[in-house]
Amino acid sequence: MGDSQYSFSLTTFSPSGKLVQIEHALTAVGSGQTSLGLKASNGVVIATEKKLLSILVDEASVQKIQHLTPNIGTVYSGMGPDFRVLVRKSRKQAEQYLRLYKEPIPVTQLVRETATVMQEFTQSGGVRPFGVSLLVAGYDDKGPQLYQVDPSGSYFSWKASAMGKNVSNAKTFLEKRYTEDMELDDAIHTAILTLKEGFEGEISSKNIEIGKIGADKVFRVLTPAEIDDYLAEVE
Amino acid sequence: MSRGSGGGYDRHITIFSPEGRLFQVEYAFKAVKAAGITSIGVRGKDSVCVVTQKKVPDKLLDQSSVTHLFPVTKYLGLLATGITADSRSLVTQARNEAAEFRFQYGYEMPADILAKWIADKSQVYTQHAYMRPLGVVAMVLGIDEERGPLLYKCDPAGHFYGHKATSAGVKEQEAINFLEKKMKENPAFTYDETVQTAISALQSVLQEDFKATEIEVGVVRADNRIFRSLETEEIEEHLTAISERD
Repeated sequence: MGDSQYSFSLTTFSPSGKLVQIEHALTAVGSGQTSLGLKASNGVVIATEKKLLSILVDEASVQKIQHLTPNIGTVYSGMGPDFRVLVRKSRKQAEQYLRLYKEPIPVTQLVRETATVMQEFTQSGGVRPFGVSLLVAGYDDKGPQLYQVDPSGSYFSWKASAMGKNVSNAKTFLEKRYTEDMELDDAIHTAILTLKEGFEGEISSKNIEIGKIGADKVFRVLTPAEIDDYLAEVE
Repeated sequence: MSRGSGGGYDRHITIFSPEGRLFQVEYAFKAVKAAGITSIGVRGKDSVCVVTQKKVPDKLLDQSSVTHLFPVTKYLGLLATGITADSRSLVTQARNEAAEFRFQYGYEMPADILAKWIADKSQVYTQHAYMRPLGVVAMVLGIDEERGPLLYKCDPAGHFYGHKATSAGVKEQEAINFLEKKMKENPAFTYDETVQTAISALQSVLQEDFKATEIEVGVVRADNRIFRSLETEEIEEHLTAISERD
């Protein structure tokens, strides 16, 4: 990967044993827009702020929540361009698995392969780590699942998690509100309330995005009209 | 060779600074402004117009060879603001990519797909140390069969968004403020209104009245999808219409 001039790793150990490039990547994630996810008893919801730089930007041209497969979706906090690269690679990996095994890829496998890519960029020559953390939401034979993957390539399964600017407030809020037997619609309401906690300005269907997957195993991004309905219910 | 991160190399190649920033990418944005021109793009109801300054630094230069407006295909235009050499490299690659797309898939490359391709290429330069980011902001315009007029802007960081109107270059922020006011009520501009909004935005932020030879204007229209650069006479007509309106 890269020119031979740069066939040495740019991410190297500091004298105290830290990989500082990864820490800086996490700082980049921490200054990104807030995103969060909740696992309900019958599905998963992920959501994010969608604050655009100007009213001149056509918000319909931007979609932060992306499908990886029909039953797995993902959202990020951090650097948008890096996210696109990971989405592309993950989609390809999912397709290759499907072609080989004639079965949709399990959520854990896809998360592991994506995390491997992110780890490789912390060790390979001439590249920097990805400046994104991912929340991967899926529903397969093992039920609803939510994973968070960090720039280091480490991943964990979460009942609920948040990332980005407002992470500590959001996590505190989620810890209070989360219950294991929550249903998907409740989870969506809780997700909206959590986003609202640290939201600068007025929350609306134009400046947030919500994606959900239920027992039907179809991941869907909600339309602005549907988000409006949920916002009205929350009021 | 000394290793990066803390060794001061975060300013020389695209690795993270302690605050999680990519200095090389930020410097690439500065290089776009250092080129000294401002560009504007406006999307109307059924047309898209881009305008940029045409500064010919030397009277001995062949004026027709000084351009920032490039056809990528018959139907897609690209306005490149920033370092001229980087712009030409980008346009050449974009032309190749669009031609291959047409060959592979059997239909014309849409503006948003081209914008994504440019942005993804720019992202690679922000992550791999061996290539620096390009000092170019590219505006891609075209009429899409299904979605109508499209205007996309791609920057050195690898971001790309669709815009109702946008700007790049020296007076980018002033122009965006001007355009936000004009587009606030989501007006549906006709072709003439689109062109005149773009030109008058440029005149307003640069605080000068242009001659037709001092600006370049590129358009695509729903009733004539071919991307073309306006002739001097046509620019003249629009300039006259603007001054009569005021």
